[in-house]
Amino acid sequence: MRLNKLKNKFPTSGRNTFSSILILCAAIFICNLLRPVSDNDMYAILVFILAVMIISLRTEGYFYGIAGSVLAVICVNYIFTYPYMAFNFTITGYPLTFFTMLTVSLIISTMATSIKKQERMRVEIEKEAIRANLLRAISHDLRTPLTSIVGATGAILENYDSLPPETKRELLGEVREDAQWLIRMVENILSITRIGSNPSQANLVKRPEAVEEILGEILGKFKKQFPETAVSVKVPEELLMVPMDAMLIEQVIMNIMENAVIHGVTTTKILVSVCRQDMEAVFKICDNGQGIAPDMLPRLFHGESSSLYEPQKAELKRSMGIGLSVCNSIIKAHGGKLTAKNNTDSSGATFCFTLPITE
Amino acid sequence: MAIKKKILIVEDERNICNFLTAVLKANNYDVIVSHTGAEAYHMITSHCPDVVLLDLGLPDIDGLSILSAVREWTQLPIVVISARAQERDKVEALDRGADDYITKPFGTSELLARIRTAIRHTYTCALDENVAQTGIFKAGDLTIDYDKHRVFIKGEDARLTQNEFKIIALLGKYAGKVLTYDYILKELWGPSARGNNQILRVNMANIRRKIEENPAEPKYIFTEVGVGYRMTQGE
Repeated sequence: MRLNKLKNKFPTSGRNTFSSILILCAAIFICNLLRPVSDNDMYAILVFILAVMIISLRTEGYFYGIAGSVLAVICVNYIFTYPYMAFNFTITGYPLTFFTMLTVSLIISTMATSIKKQERMRVEIEKEAIRANLLRAISHDLRTPLTSIVGATGAILENYDSLPPETKRELLGEVREDAQWLIRMVENILSITRIGSNPSQANLVKRPEAVEEILGEILGKFKKQFPETAVSVKVPEELLMVPMDAMLIEQVIMNIMENAVIHGVTTTKILVSVCRQDMEAVFKICDNGQGIAPDMLPRLFHGESSSLYEPQKAELKRSMGIGLSVCNSIIKAHGGKLTAKNNTDSSGATFCFTLPITE
Repeated sequence: MAIKKKILIVEDERNICNFLTAVLKANNYDVIVSHTGAEAYHMITSHCPDVVLLDLGLPDIDGLSILSAVREWTQLPIVVISARAQERDKVEALDRGADDYITKPFGTSELLARIRTAIRHTYTCALDENVAQTGIFKAGDLTIDYDKHRVFIKGEDARLTQNEFKIIALLGKYAGKVLTYDYILKELWGPSARGNNQILRVNMANIRRKIEENPAEPKYIFTEVGVGYRMTQGE
C-alpha cells in the first residue's frame, strides 16, 4: 500500500529507469577510462554529479534524480575510491566527502527538475497567450458584423413604414452577407477546437478519400455562394485516394477560394488542380485577382486578425488572417505544408498545399 | 384550388421555427409546429402531415428514436435537419429511414428543393412515374435504359460494366435522394460488404470517367462526402 502511494508521488516508467541506468553506466565507463591517467579519485565525484544532473534533466519527476544521487555515491565509494571494489565510508575524510557529494547531487537534481518544470510552465503560458490573442482577435472580428446586423435589422424594424423598399432590401442583403461571414467564422473556430492547440497531437479523423469527390463537393458549395466566379478543376486521370479529415480539408480549400474572391478583389477565375508527386498529393489553388500585398506574405499564416494591425483596412480584410492560420494548422496537423505566392507570369496568387498519401 | 401539402416542423429553436414557417407558408404549404419530440409524435399520428422536418437535437427525446418509432408504421417522408458536428448522425438517420437530410445552416431554396423531392418520392413509390412507364431515366445528356441495361451519354453507349450499371441504376431509381455507402453496398453486394466502401469509390471513379466530362465537376452523380451519393433529379 505505502509503496503504491510512493509510486504515485514519484512517477516511474520503464523508459525513465532505462535512461537513468544508461547514464550511470556511461559515467562508470568514463571513470574507467580516466582512472589510468589520474592519480587521485576526485574526477569520479565530478563525473557522477554531472551524471545525476543529466538524469534529472532527462527523466520525469524527482525520483530518478534522488535515486541517481544515492546510486552515484554508492558507485563512487564502491568502485572508484580506495579500497576498490569494497564499501568503506569510515576512512578519514570519507564521511564528509560522501556526505557532501550526496547533498550536492541531491540539490542539483532537485534544481534541475524544478527548472524543467518552470520551462514547461513558461511554454504553457505562452500557448495560453496565443490562444487568448486569437480569442481576442476573433471576438473583435465578430463584433463588427454583429453590430451591423443588429443595426440594420433595428433600422428596418423601427422605420418599417418610412424606409423605401429598396433601402430595406439593401439592408437585408447586408445582414445576410454578414451572417454568412459569421457562419464561416464559426466553422473556423470549430476547426480550431477540433485540431486543438498542439497540431502534432491533433485528434483528426483521417480516412482515405477520393480527391475528385472532395473537390466536386466543394465546387458545388462554392458555386452556390459565388456564382459569378468561374472555377475550373483538374484532377489526375487515375483515381487518387488521400487519407484526410475530409471536413477540415474541404474547409481549407473553401477558405482559400473564398479569400481568392474576397481579397483578390478582381478575381474572375480560379483554377484548382491536384496532382501526385511521389508520395504526396499536391493541391494548387490559383486565382487571377490582384494578388497578395508583398508585406502581407510573410505573416499570412500567423493567426493575427488583419483588423488588428490594419484597422483602416479591417472592413476589407477581416478574417483572412484567422482563416489562413486555421488552414495552416489543419495542413500541418495532416503532415503537409501550406505555401502562398504571387503568380510571376500573370496576376493573382497561388496557394499550394501538400498531403502525404500514406500514413 | 389545389389542396395544400401539410408540413410538420419539429424544432425546439423558436426563431428557426418562425423563419421556416414564414418560408413554407409563402410557398403554399400548410405548416404545423412542434417544439418537443413527444408532441411531434402525437402530431404525426393525429395530423398525418405530408412531410416532416425533423431536427435531431430535441430537448426531450433523441430525434433518431422518433425516426425509428415513426418508421415502424409509416413511410411518410421525413427530412432530417442536422448541425455540422453531427456527421455520424446524418448517416445513421438515413440508414434508419430518413428520406433526406439538410445541414444547418441552409438556404431556403435548398430546403424547398429537398421538400419537393421528398414529396415526389412518396407519390411515385420511389420510382419516378416517367421511369416506371417508359423504363427510361433521363437527366441532361444522360439516359439510363432499365430495360436494355444500358447507360447512354449523348446517345452513345457509356459501356458500363455490370456493377457500374447496377450502381447507377440504383441511384437513378432514387434520383434526388442521397443513398448512403452502406445502403448501396448492401443492395449490390449483400450485407457482408457493409463497411468497406473502397470498392464503391473505385467503381464510382470509373463511372464518372465514363459519364461525366470532368470527374471533379460532376453533373449527374454528386458526392456527399462521408455520407453517400446522390443522383441529380430526372426530367
